[in-house]
Amino acid sequence: MTTDDPDLKYDRSLLGVDHDIGTYDVTKEMIISFARSTGETGVQYLDEEAAKNTVYGGLVAPPTFCNMFVNGVSRPDIKLEFGNVGLFAGQSIENLTPARPGDTLSAKTRLKEVYAKTGRSGKMVFAVWETQFTNQGGDTVALVQESFVRRNRSTR
Amino acid sequence: MASAVYYDDVDLGDELPSMERQVSDYEVVEFLNIARIGEAKENRFTSAEAAKSEGLPEAIVPGAMNIAIMSTLITSWSPTVTLRKLDVVFRGMVLHNRPIKLTGLITDKDIVDGSPQLECDVVMENEEGTPLVIGKATVELPVRE
Repeated sequence: MTTDDPDLKYDRSLLGVDHDIGTYDVTKEMIISFARSTGETGVQYLDEEAAKNTVYGGLVAPPTFCNMFVNGVSRPDIKLEFGNVGLFAGQSIENLTPARPGDTLSAKTRLKEVYAKTGRSGKMVFAVWETQFTNQGGDTVALVQESFVRRNRSTR
Repeated sequence: MASAVYYDDVDLGDELPSMERQVSDYEVVEFLNIARIGEAKENRFTSAEAAKSEGLPEAIVPGAMNIAIMSTLITSWSPTVTLRKLDVVFRGMVLHNRPIKLTGLITDKDIVDGSPQLECDVVMENEEGTPLVIGKATVELPVRE
């Protein structure tokens, strides 16, 4: 069961507040290396000339490209007063506009929600951060959500 | 080259074409160097010794790379398919140079806000069949005219 627990103690002033985490210049070399190393086969990711004849009209980044920039991002402490064990719970990426060579992506991260869930092993509290990547034209390229869970370590 | 796939051609319960591959040491280093995640130093992603010093069995593939590899199940399926959203949970470590298998199953099919979409369960598993990464993909594809 998931609850929006009013008794959860954390810094609620962080909810929905954007924090700049940086800008990233996208190059042709980055896109091709990303595609090659992860096993992409589509010419829209690998071949600048052939990509011109696809629906994209040129080279584009593979769908999870922005995800690599959130690795190790420093975020504010939400001062959650619960649990003594922290784990990375999961991640999602939503693609809205393809990233292209020459793009400059700006990234902002925000605390999206904090909620409690009770399962067989007891109560867990999830903190969800959303990072938005926007290109130089103001279009949202991708939304990356990361979930972190805190729980109490079993004493048995 | 993969052929065109249309919304009309697929149905609930259909399996996506599965993929098998291994992730090489070189591919991990190339990936890490793109965003300078682990450049110029040994770490759990590039060195078996560094990984073992952290209690891991061997060098592991970074999470961001695992998601990217998972997405190739969709992007390689057909040039007409667009991956809109990928939501994953990490269940186990993906090790270098070990066979992994990617599979997918269509679990829902609907027109959402005028857009033909599929929901697919996707899994990355090791050679023992143990799920390492599981998730859901939202996919857009065209309707036959």
